[in-house]
Amino acid sequence: MEMVELGGKQIEIDEDGFIQDPDQWDEAVAKDLAKTEGVDDMSDDHWKLVNYLRDYYLEYNMAPMIRKLCKQTGFSLKEVYDLFPSGPAKGACKVAGLPKPTGCV
Amino acid sequence: MDLITVSRQEDLKFSVQLRDHVMTTDFSVGEGGKDGGPSPVEYLGVAAGACLATMVQAYCDARGYSDGDVAVNLTLEMVENPNRIGAIVMDVDLPNDVPESDREKLKAMALRMPVPATLKDGPRVDIEMF
Repeated sequence: MEMVELGGKQIEIDEDGFIQDPDQWDEAVAKDLAKTEGVDDMSDDHWKLVNYLRDYYLEYNMAPMIRKLCKQTGFSLKEVYDLFPSGPAKGACKVAGLPKPTGCV
Repeated sequence: MDLITVSRQEDLKFSVQLRDHVMTTDFSVGEGGKDGGPSPVEYLGVAAGACLATMVQAYCDARGYSDGDVAVNLTLEMVENPNRIGAIVMDVDLPNDVPESDREKLKAMALRMPVPATLKDGPRVDIEMF
């Protein structure tokens, strides 16, 4: 674990860059997290994905299944990966301030 | 079925030989490898996607659907305890002239194709150590 500056705040992240306290997340934090994923400019489509993940997590305390994410946002898998090249788990969930997804790949 | 031989190159990087074909498998840097090739788990996803793509393309070719080719995008949803694939999520692009009635039929057929069907029912895994 280490402390880094994200969105003007000192925030603890794990070895993969996921923030440890979801309550510290805000849009400025998301923009800085996006930069760590190679996304320098968050478009409306980026925010649509991130906000869906964020809302789902706050309601269910877990990330949605990928198919649900695609159906609810209207993005195909390829479009999700075009937006977040690391994918929905390692990329979009990180930017949305969710805990690191379980498993690997 | 021809013999598949998996032999070590270095560290976690292995060669996979089947007939005259040679593939490489490794783990990502984050998982202790050097990302010299897809991981074994990723190859399982490759197998599922390739199986689906080729079988669906064959179906479309047989029926003369030629306005575009079949393409598959897929990803793996991982779960823990034990670490494994929880879901293989696949998007299949079909030729534009495939009618709606055949799209539904293809979706049902896809689950009966060799790799998806194998994954669905789970094969016997028989291991001896020498």
